[in-house]
Amino acid sequence: MGLSELLATYGRNYWEALLSTWGMTALCFALVMLVAIAVTVMRVSPFKPLRVLGDGYVQVFRNIPGVSLLIIIVYALPSLNLVLPYRTCVILTVILVASAFGSENFMSGINTIGVGQIEAARSLGLSFGKMLRRIVIPQALRTTVLPMTNLLIAVLLTTSLGSQVPLDPPELTGVVSYINTRSTGGILAFGIAAAGYALTAVAIAFVGNRIDKKVRIVR
Amino acid sequence: MSAQATSGAVSIRDALYETPGPKTRVKIRIGTAVSAVAVAMLLAFVVHQFWATGQLDPRYWMFFTQMSTWSYLFAGLRGTLAVALTAGAIALVLGLALMLGRTSGIRPLAALCRVVTDFFRGVPSLLLIYFFFLVVPQYGIKMSSFWMITLPVALAASGVLAEVFRAGVNAVPRGQTEAALALGMRPFRVKLKIVLPQAIRYVIPSLISQLVVVVKDTTVAYVVSYPDMLQNARVLITNYDALVSTYLVVAVIYILLNYAINQLSVYVARRSGTRVVSRYSTNPA
Amino acid sequence: MSEQTPIIELRHVDKHFGELHVLKDVSLSVGKGEVVVVIGPSGSGKSTLCRAINRLETIDSGEIIIEGQPLPEEGRELAAMRAELGMVFQSFNLFAHMSILQNVTIGPTEVLGLPKAEAEERAMELLERVGVASQAHKVPAQLSGGQQQRVAIARSLAMRPKAMLFDEPTSALDPEMINEVLDVMVDLARRGMTMIVVTHEMNFARRVADRVVFMADGAIVEEGAPDEFFDHPTTQRARDFLDSIKGH
Repeated sequence: MGLSELLATYGRNYWEALLSTWGMTALCFALVMLVAIAVTVMRVSPFKPLRVLGDGYVQVFRNIPGVSLLIIIVYALPSLNLVLPYRTCVILTVILVASAFGSENFMSGINTIGVGQIEAARSLGLSFGKMLRRIVIPQALRTTVLPMTNLLIAVLLTTSLGSQVPLDPPELTGVVSYINTRSTGGILAFGIAAAGYALTAVAIAFVGNRIDKKVRIVR
Repeated sequence: MSAQATSGAVSIRDALYETPGPKTRVKIRIGTAVSAVAVAMLLAFVVHQFWATGQLDPRYWMFFTQMSTWSYLFAGLRGTLAVALTAGAIALVLGLALMLGRTSGIRPLAALCRVVTDFFRGVPSLLLIYFFFLVVPQYGIKMSSFWMITLPVALAASGVLAEVFRAGVNAVPRGQTEAALALGMRPFRVKLKIVLPQAIRYVIPSLISQLVVVVKDTTVAYVVSYPDMLQNARVLITNYDALVSTYLVVAVIYILLNYAINQLSVYVARRSGTRVVSRYSTNPA
Repeated sequence: MSEQTPIIELRHVDKHFGELHVLKDVSLSVGKGEVVVVIGPSGSGKSTLCRAINRLETIDSGEIIIEGQPLPEEGRELAAMRAELGMVFQSFNLFAHMSILQNVTIGPTEVLGLPKAEAEERAMELLERVGVASQAHKVPAQLSGGQQQRVAIARSLAMRPKAMLFDEPTSALDPEMINEVLDVMVDLARRGMTMIVVTHEMNFARRVADRVVFMADGAIVEEGAPDEFFDHPTTQRARDFLDSIKGH
């Protein structure tokens, strides 16, 4: 099958799949940030039970294979009276895994600040809240731009877990197996999807680097 | 300056808070109690949900006391490790080659290696697996299920490892190269004999932690019907009709395995005084 | 408040770091406009003493009294007290993500509620005084250590503090930058600022101090006027210490 024939027959499928992947990536990443912030707040709170829970969350979800987690959510949760739509299962899996890494990024962002600046803020008479708002959070955010860019790319790649459950429309990896079960798409059928991922990743990296150059803190 | 040494050793998340006064101590105590209750309630809810749906029934768990269950799971784990270690070894060689190509100074070769590196870093390993599973056979190439899972996992990892190696090379002080060149060594030999050995030592912890990614990637082996741990777990599930317990136990094994690998990399990093470069912290472009 | 009320007073202060007894029954009183220089070997507790005064370190027992009021333990009262005590650190601790100007205005705007324009005017005056006004729009990492430390001093002065605490302000500096920082401190002392200075700069102590406090092993071993102390130390510990630094 040539490129033109492939695109004529399946062009629409590819386009919908790409949009599906992009949509899931964007939605997941937004939710990943929210969850990562919540987990990080727990981990830096002065309350031991929340710290333990937050640390445990990160250890579990950064070490569990995505497929293993997806299978539990899709097949095991219904036995516990929790049935979720397939797309929600995929999104939930991505969020759980990626937010663990997101929280790690935030933690190392906070770690780059150093005790000295915090003591200096305290010595000026800044309250705890003002110290967080003016000193800690801005620096943590600015130093996490690059790691978070990489996390966004990881989220993009992890949405390929969607190929393991029936999705309508399928995402970009699922569409390759869909096309190949219908006709012999050959290396091209694969190449189009791969290009969709790789170019998106390159674009994300480009934008991330630009933002990082702008906000990077010189030390 | 024992004062400085002591306060310097405090982790930042403790440094955010100063030593509490009496009122703050009371507040922290109340918060700790409230959050302890909340966490306990959360756990109780989960356990209750297991109990209410009958998932705590002994018939779902008793077969884990049998030797045969574990030997079957560990046979699967052996499969997992065989794929992971082979893929890791291939990725090591390939990643090193890609990095050497990219930093060779030969324009076309560098560009090619850069594109290949970015490609394998920017494509999901699942897609690569479908390539070897669905596309490669279309060209009449027959592969065992072992290689159908091992090769794509290796390729995906090689892209990341190339970047890890590059970070390692960049971390070697320029003075090292300059000193060697000043001695009259040829640039290629300098790279091979002076820069690389130091760079590799620097990235060993990162390489170890990348094994976690490789282990995770092997879990889609069921796509190509290779008997890894997850695939064997499915057989157990059909035998004992114990889906929830089996998948949870397998997940815990994966988590412990990866946790152990991560701890090892942290331990090695601490011993050699280096930093772990991860997939999430290497510069993407 | 009578003229005699000291600005900073420590009464029988004790502190341990685990097994280590870092402050042993330390009592010290600093009057208005007085410059007290604290010297002593490493690990003598002088830094801890300085940091305890604005509760960057807590104490186990004893009292710290600022202008007749006990040092608050937490909350708004503690923050307000800290706002009145300037603190300069060994490692400058400028806020890395802010410009030099912002570093100096953040205290007045956030803590004192000064309007931005007024805070900037005050900041520029101070930056002028410490000689780094031309760097106002750079970030800390673009400045030399000496310049950064002078900015840190300006940052503290912007709060119009009642007293300044200096915790080894020149120890992290290259030798050629030490004097530019000391000059600013000498100028401050001349203007009547109440200062506690922990330092190894003996010449500074001789020139500027009203009183030298010598600490060893967590205790104040000897104190007195600088000339008296440096020329006729009464304790063996102080003589040994002065001999050991003369060698350099």
